[in-house]
Amino acid sequence: MGTNPVPNKKLAIFTATGCRACENAILDIHYQVSSLARCADIAFWPYMLGSEVRDLEKQESIDVCFFAGAIRTSSDREAALKLREKSRIMVACGACAAFGGMPGLVNISQWSVVSGQSQRTMDNKQQTNEEEKPELPPLESRVLGLPQIVKVDYLVPGCPPTQNFLWAAIQSLVCNGQSPARLSFAASRLPEAIAQAITSGILPPKGSIFAGEKAVCASCSRVKEEKRFETYKRPYQAYEELGRCLLEQGLVCQGITTQEGCGGLCTAMGQPCRGCFGKAEAIFDPGAKMVSAISSTFDSNDAQEIAALVDDIVDLVGTFYRYTLPTQCALFSTPSKD
Amino acid sequence: MKNMTFEPLRWQEDPVRITVFHDTEYLQAYFQVSAPRDIEWICKGRPVEELPRILTILSPPHHLASAMALDRLFEVEPPPLAVNMREALLQAHVFRHHLRKLYFLLSSWQNPFLDYKTRESRGEQHMVPSHILDKIMHHVSLSQETAAILGGRCDHPLSAVAGGVSRFLKEDHYHRLSEIAESCLKFGMRLGKFLRDEIFGDGKALDGFQNLQIEPMASLALAEKDDNVVLRDPVEKEMDRFSPDMIFEKIGLHKELWTHEPFAYVKGQSKDEIKNIFNSQFFFVGPLARLNSGEELGSPLAEEERQRLIEALGPFPHFGVVAAYWSLLVELLQAAEKMTELYAEEKLTGPDIRTIPSEMGREGYGALESPQGLIYHHYQTDERGIVEDIEVLDTATENNALHCLLTQKAVEVSMAQGKTREEMKNLIEMSLLPF
Repeated sequence: MGTNPVPNKKLAIFTATGCRACENAILDIHYQVSSLARCADIAFWPYMLGSEVRDLEKQESIDVCFFAGAIRTSSDREAALKLREKSRIMVACGACAAFGGMPGLVNISQWSVVSGQSQRTMDNKQQTNEEEKPELPPLESRVLGLPQIVKVDYLVPGCPPTQNFLWAAIQSLVCNGQSPARLSFAASRLPEAIAQAITSGILPPKGSIFAGEKAVCASCSRVKEEKRFETYKRPYQAYEELGRCLLEQGLVCQGITTQEGCGGLCTAMGQPCRGCFGKAEAIFDPGAKMVSAISSTFDSNDAQEIAALVDDIVDLVGTFYRYTLPTQCALFSTPSKD
Repeated sequence: MKNMTFEPLRWQEDPVRITVFHDTEYLQAYFQVSAPRDIEWICKGRPVEELPRILTILSPPHHLASAMALDRLFEVEPPPLAVNMREALLQAHVFRHHLRKLYFLLSSWQNPFLDYKTRESRGEQHMVPSHILDKIMHHVSLSQETAAILGGRCDHPLSAVAGGVSRFLKEDHYHRLSEIAESCLKFGMRLGKFLRDEIFGDGKALDGFQNLQIEPMASLALAEKDDNVVLRDPVEKEMDRFSPDMIFEKIGLHKELWTHEPFAYVKGQSKDEIKNIFNSQFFFVGPLARLNSGEELGSPLAEEERQRLIEALGPFPHFGVVAAYWSLLVELLQAAEKMTELYAEEKLTGPDIRTIPSEMGREGYGALESPQGLIYHHYQTDERGIVEDIEVLDTATENNALHCLLTQKAVEVSMAQGKTREEMKNLIEMSLLPF
């Protein structure tokens, strides 16, 4: 074996407040995970190696950081800032880091009244008089996505990210130049602009999203008949599990507003899309677009009929922004750090 | 007084911080879950039929427990095909969960992501040959493939719905499932031999853990025969048996300000303060808790392995770290055997996948034995099926007291033996892993 012409890249993998499914997705690149060592030194991975955030001080720099999970506590924020400071490339991995994810739904509830940090800290201090007890990291005033805290270079969306795109991101950002066969494998799964960049040996343009180019409907296998929205159904009710488009059957399915990349995974399982890849590029606000798409195809011109139909629709915010409330809802979100 | 902090810990699903206060006469370790999970706030206000897809963020088996709760809420009986598919999915997750933990154990003595050349140059000991770790990861990935076939995705599955499952299997899935089940069973047996020869037992790799155990503690598990919850005292005697919907009448939750995770305990006389709750009021769940029932297993290979455990470590109940690792192997074989039995075409075919609910219900509950232990869901909705109240009992809550006691024990042992900070952290991580 010859000497490796390209030095190994230093890789960091971290989950803030999340469920570990993104890290499992990285472990899920099958037995390839152990071959990552050929092109990367995993310098920081708390879940697998027990690395502590203070270990980062010893690192001069990190080449690529895959950051998963939402920002919920001050520890999450500190880790995000420290990893950003050390990392040349910061990747938001998964829906929680990229958009705030399901933990972001907390932002529309009354949680802060009940379990807010001020009350918690106060009680904690009172207790320390009697016996010393450890502190908890204070909670953020609301759940945030990573781009609202630091500048993020690339996004790998999904809940959890699909194996194809995660593998493509690792190949193109971490292992570039290592193996033409692997690069072409990665490129075949990426949008053209990103694919061209990585096959030319350069990094994809900053801000690229490792996902498809269109909306989920483009890769959904279900049959669309351009029918109008004549009834509203909820997923527990009877509908055709296979075959016809779910939205045309009256189920709220967000395929039309969601970035493609999953291959229509949920709709193929007979379940409506809930938008874990975030909004498609051309869309400003996924919820507003869904309201407009559904209301413009109501199969009635009668105001009363339309009102009755609308009355049945439940939990618009929790459905349309299931994974994206902190970052993509125009009425709730704050700008990202770009 | 000095204090030490370890954050985060390897292999813990929740963000965990260990804080140790100590001086010459005082030593107290705290196992802190440092971020809230906010399940209540995420779920309230959502349509109840969405909960299986939301609660799966806790772990994949919560998806199935949630679907069971919906069956009750909508008063529908899933067809046999759907019941089998759900059970097949659960067993895939048991196999995957236990195998991953054994991978973590076996890779804990070395950095699994170092290439061979670097390892050699650093002179690292090869306690476990790399090809074994690779084989384990390969079978983890195979079990993930079955979970994806049956659940749509491995993590965050979506196939279980109110009254059944959302899709039939495809023709080529049958062959693949039985092929994988067979491979998993064969591998489980080979892995068992390796673990017995090299890792478990006196004088083997886990020798340093032989005396690491907690004080005897009660256990909680679902009875296989009647699906009732059984509470056993530390000497294996049945203390109570009740229907799962009575769980919160029997089990209380206690909150402390230094951790986001509440403590579950058996309701009794003195429940006001955590320091007044004696060990007899704490309980634990999981593989070892299930085996602590002392009951014979239905699967022959798993039963054989259980007998080997008894032969080596003595009769159940056990409360030690080595027994906990060994119980993972017993249940891994049991899951592989159940997979070979369930992944047959006749079990996974049928005319219906789903019973359609006729009307909206108001209340439902579901309980099942997940790989980590007993989990329980209870929902209440308004007349439109919007979640008004939700109670979820998760293994992190049930085993919280156990985690705290084990951490304290590991810290005491490390201090007594004069271990370094790094060694202490390692001991804590490896003690918590199998529970």
